[in-house]
Amino acid sequence: MKRLLQPRWIAMVVLVGLLLASPLYLKNSPYQMAIVTGAFFYAILASSWALLAGIAGQFSFAHMALTGIGAYTAGILGRDLGTTPLQGIIAGTVMAGLVGLIIGILCLRLRAAYLALFTIAFSEILRIWLLTEFQFTEGSNGLRLDKLWEGISGVQEYYVMLVLLLASMALMYWLAGSRFGLFVRAMREDEEAASAMGVNVVRYKVLIFVVTSLIVGLAGATFYHQVGIATPNTMEILQMSLVIAMAVIGGMESLLGAAIGAFFSRVSLELLREISLFGFTIELGAWRYAAFGLLLLFTLRFAQNGLLHPIIDRLFMRGARKDTVAKRALATEEDA
Amino acid sequence: MIELQVRDVYKSFGGIQALNGVSFEIQGNQLIGLIGPNGAGKTTLTNVLDGVFRPTGGQVWFNGERIDGLPPYEIARRGLGRTFQVTRAFRRMTVLENMFVPAMALHPTARQRDFHKKAWEVLEFLTMEHLAREYARSLSGGQQKLLELGRLLMLDPDIIILDEPFAGVHPKLMETIYEYIQVVHEQGKAFIIISHDMESIFTLSQRLLVLNFGELIADGDPSTVKADPAVIEAYLGEEEEEEEAGGIVIIEAGDLEGAEGTDA
Repeated sequence: MKRLLQPRWIAMVVLVGLLLASPLYLKNSPYQMAIVTGAFFYAILASSWALLAGIAGQFSFAHMALTGIGAYTAGILGRDLGTTPLQGIIAGTVMAGLVGLIIGILCLRLRAAYLALFTIAFSEILRIWLLTEFQFTEGSNGLRLDKLWEGISGVQEYYVMLVLLLASMALMYWLAGSRFGLFVRAMREDEEAASAMGVNVVRYKVLIFVVTSLIVGLAGATFYHQVGIATPNTMEILQMSLVIAMAVIGGMESLLGAAIGAFFSRVSLELLREISLFGFTIELGAWRYAAFGLLLLFTLRFAQNGLLHPIIDRLFMRGARKDTVAKRALATEEDA
Repeated sequence: MIELQVRDVYKSFGGIQALNGVSFEIQGNQLIGLIGPNGAGKTTLTNVLDGVFRPTGGQVWFNGERIDGLPPYEIARRGLGRTFQVTRAFRRMTVLENMFVPAMALHPTARQRDFHKKAWEVLEFLTMEHLAREYARSLSGGQQKLLELGRLLMLDPDIIILDEPFAGVHPKLMETIYEYIQVVHEQGKAFIIISHDMESIFTLSQRLLVLNFGELIADGDPSTVKADPAVIEAYLGEEEEEEEAGGIVIIEAGDLEGAEGTDA
């Protein structure tokens, strides 16, 4: 009970409460509702990338490609075999996990820039294949996907994505605080030393790819069922760069920081399409991405821990980062 | 009883023969010093023993099981632990988390809280308990070396290989490392210590192995090895070459305490 009254838990409850209550306000604006629902999708992508790259040290650029694998698997199965969206989502998630497994195995000996280049090449090959195999994938026209269920409302889609975000965050936090998290962080720090300490680095390197691929595959299959269409352009490197930038701005070693960073970045990018200033309306168009790029440069130069994570940490999570294995051990020791 | 057998081990990198038919045995909790001049193959041998390198020839047997070719984590779990020449603490993890990694790896079904008592005891022994919640990156170089030793105790290996444990360490911390080696040795662990600190290695070791150009040129008690002409030549030869190259003080024959060098 005492633990639940800590500021960070109170803040968490308030945050989740706000997210649950938001449709009361947003339901009057389907456009805003769609933006926020989309922001949840990006929050899942950025936080899972933070787990993969920030916590486990695997700098992969295949995240968007894996969402595409989830979406296209679900869409193609629905079109050709008549599967339901739920069956398609399950199949898409499994397919993304399998591809993640293959990438993990192929990348066992690759680190840093080599891993990044490998996953960029993989993503581009997949995107080009989807573009060119028109008869199978509908090419640049995009593959149509059925809605999750007949007559689904914007509010329902909002809650579906919110539940997915909260569930994936809970899973990732549990993993990060477990034996799995301890070992992948040791692996991030020094693979050889971790191995010399008895950690099966190969197993955990493959596992982190599989777990994050399953998460983004599930998110991709679900989200594109809501959008109704999946196109190869969603997998282009610019989109992946956006996800990485969101995670970096939020704080790439923090799952929550990355998720909040992605949420606000996505919402801000939409709001910046057109701004009104002193009675003038300015259409920023692609310039909003330049502004976003500047923010990223600023973050990388002056705030390597991200812009949001230190604020979250200071306001609500004081000491939360230290509430890892070490702090729990101390608490148990004191109790004893 | 602890038993390590290195049987005619070869390791080459392209055209370079780093280890050339090295054979020796360790029976029981011996405290062994491994020395040799530049490029002798000391670290290569360590990497072969702990599975980082697969030997190009020969075999390594540990407690009745052949271990050459096994991955490092399997060898670590079987009871052969090591430190590194350049300290490799998990820098962005706390000291306690560093300690839990080997313990958790060794016991797949155990929980972290099962090890906190042992971790505290080890940290107290190393006089590091006040640093338990600090990130490893905030420790000094010497403290990071102690942390590596602490991690080894959590792994609880039968044989501990220490690669340059005294290099760049403050004299006060050096005393702690000395004590660590002696106490842990008395608890029944075998040690292989690689060091260029000749005074320490001659003081601590019960037995010395000397490598030169990948070959084991001497194996015996320190006083015998110290007087071995092949050993003197290996070190003196190196000094003479260095003198020709740049001119440093030549040690006297037999006075190996003054010999210096770097690792392979």
